Amino acid sequence: MLGFLTARQAGLDDPLRLRRAESTRRVFGLELNPDRDVDRIHGNGINTIDIEAVEGRYMLSGGSDGIIVVYDLENYSGKPQYTCKAVCTVGRSSRYVHKFSVETVQWYPYDTGMFVSSSFDKTMKVWDTETLKPAEVFEFEGNVYSHHLSPIARKHSLIAVGTKYPKVQLCDLKSGSRSHVLQGHRAEVLSVRWSPRYEHILATASADSKVKVWDVRRASGSLLDLDQHKGDKSKASTEAVNTAHNGRVNGLCFTGDGLYILTTGTDDRMRLWNSATGENTLVNYGKVCNESRKKLQFAVSRGCSPEFVFVPCGSSVAVYALHTGELVTMLRGHYNNVDCCEFHPDYQELYSGGKDCNILAWVPVLHASAVEDESNSSNKDAASQPSVNPALQDAWSSDED
Amino acid sequence: MAGGDDDFPPAVKQEQSVMNRKRALISDTFKVKKSRNGPEKFGVVCNGNGPVDVKSSLEYLMTLFPRKLFNDALPTIVLKHQLYSLHNDKTLVDKEVNKLREQAELLMFQLGFDTEAFGLTFISDYKAKVLAGQEGKVTRATVERFLEKLLTSSCTDLSFSKEKMLREFLFTDSEITQLVKSGVLTVRDAGSWWLSIPNSGKFTKYFIQGRKAVLGMVKKSKYSEVLQAELEERRTIAQVKFNMKYHIHDIVGADLVESIPTTSGALLRFVES
Repeated sequence: MLGFLTARQAGLDDPLRLRRAESTRRVFGLELNPDRDVDRIHGNGINTIDIEAVEGRYMLSGGSDGIIVVYDLENYSGKPQYTCKAVCTVGRSSRYVHKFSVETVQWYPYDTGMFVSSSFDKTMKVWDTETLKPAEVFEFEGNVYSHHLSPIARKHSLIAVGTKYPKVQLCDLKSGSRSHVLQGHRAEVLSVRWSPRYEHILATASADSKVKVWDVRRASGSLLDLDQHKGDKSKASTEAVNTAHNGRVNGLCFTGDGLYILTTGTDDRMRLWNSATGENTLVNYGKVCNESRKKLQFAVSRGCSPEFVFVPCGSSVAVYALHTGELVTMLRGHYNNVDCCEFHPDYQELYSGGKDCNILAWVPVLHASAVEDESNSSNKDAASQPSVNPALQDAWSSDED
Repeated sequence: MAGGDDDFPPAVKQEQSVMNRKRALISDTFKVKKSRNGPEKFGVVCNGNGPVDVKSSLEYLMTLFPRKLFNDALPTIVLKHQLYSLHNDKTLVDKEVNKLREQAELLMFQLGFDTEAFGLTFISDYKAKVLAGQEGKVTRATVERFLEKLLTSSCTDLSFSKEKMLREFLFTDSEITQLVKSGVLTVRDAGSWWLSIPNSGKFTKYFIQGRKAVLGMVKKSKYSEVLQAELEERRTIAQVKFNMKYHIHDIVGADLVESIPTTSGALLRFVES
């Protein structure tokens, strides 16, 4: 690391290189840290997590009990031991709370004044964070599995909604009405995702084994169907249609730069696709256990040199290298199935939530010397706080002033 | 980790102490010093560093195939996922296999019992065995013609559709029936056929039987795990007709068991699914 710093100082290396190398090293060191905890509010499993894009400070979580909680992730106490407290909750006592399980929550991409949640009670609610009352409620005919707002859209404010019915609904946030419908799938739509590169491109994954890529401005149907056999008809079990997986496709994610799409399916496979051509890159991740009947929320790292995918696999989170497909490590810590995980790009932390009602924070492990200092100082002052990081200690103020 | 230490068998205790030694994963970017004595992974033969030599691994796996069991009528068949147990990087293995197929050295077949299980044979072997099996049969000429067409134009195809057979290869309907009868083609869909190995039914039957039996042996062991060396030593029961190592490479590569490196060698642990 010192070599990287000197090279950057001397101008031999691009500044980005140091940042990427350090981010990658931190991701390799992800571990459960006894110092970092997230408040336990949910009484039932946690289905979805979202960290806001603006500051990376607030996190939303939605649970199977219909409860939505907002947490503050920032540590201002100066002590290494920190619990992420819940700032506010839409609990069962609220008049507007969802009746059944909340499947997806997402912050409004531009500020934290608003968030959108959708649930199995066939509604999608747009909430005002200040008053915790829904500003808008959209009703649907079937259970809502997934919704997504485009993180980069300037010209439209559409929310794509995937429900039990095969038609993908687009709702307009500005006018509060539905905009149009995308037809093409034959079974329930389990996951929808806007591209982080082009504001009109949408990808949808369905239980009929297909993944379709749409341009929402185009009236006549999808742009592409992702084909797992890469056009090689001879490998498929029937001559018929293009399928992305040999089972339900329940997880969909774009990489940070929008160039690749990752999909997971109940055939226990994960595939990486080129998002422009729809081609299967044929990266082999091996068996990625997947038994979920609903959508699976997984995350891709941002800002690291080989990018990583964090996929919930049973009761642990598997970390794969994106382009080579090798399994880097399995993060074990949950007591029951993990349903969702989210990567915090600024601190290289991973938050994962599951059926055991816990949200676990995986933090890059710091140098081990902190542990030895603590054991020495704790012998001297018995009743004092745990030792503060020496960089944060106050070396300026004097007692005489 | 929860639970008292007394509940764990010795092999697991050793494995845990290895993991607790906190050898943090360090990316290649930060490995400035060369490792002094070579990083020896306990008991596991791993060839992570050199370029992936798939052909020699294939040849090794071919030696494990029991020719005598089928009276030498079948070419040696190896499954693609058996290669995954020998090499770490699955994507590289796939690329190398595809390269060999394009060079017309290797043939890949869809075996039928699993969408992901592909069988591989060397082309020369396949050709020799198929023609030997066709000696004195009326379908011999058609089969020979088909093999010629296969080797020259489309040895990377796993299946053939009716148009392809009629137009490109110029076979008539009755000739296609002859090919199906001889075992070189198997029906896939209405109007399309898989490429297959004649008389491979027996192979598939023994293979599935053997795989089930070996998996059962691992599952019935205490804690559903067994050292690989011990499993290889065990008396093969009547159900397992193939070499034990052949089956072990198969179940490790197909992710049906997890191979964990320990100080006493590789440990195979049954994966619940």
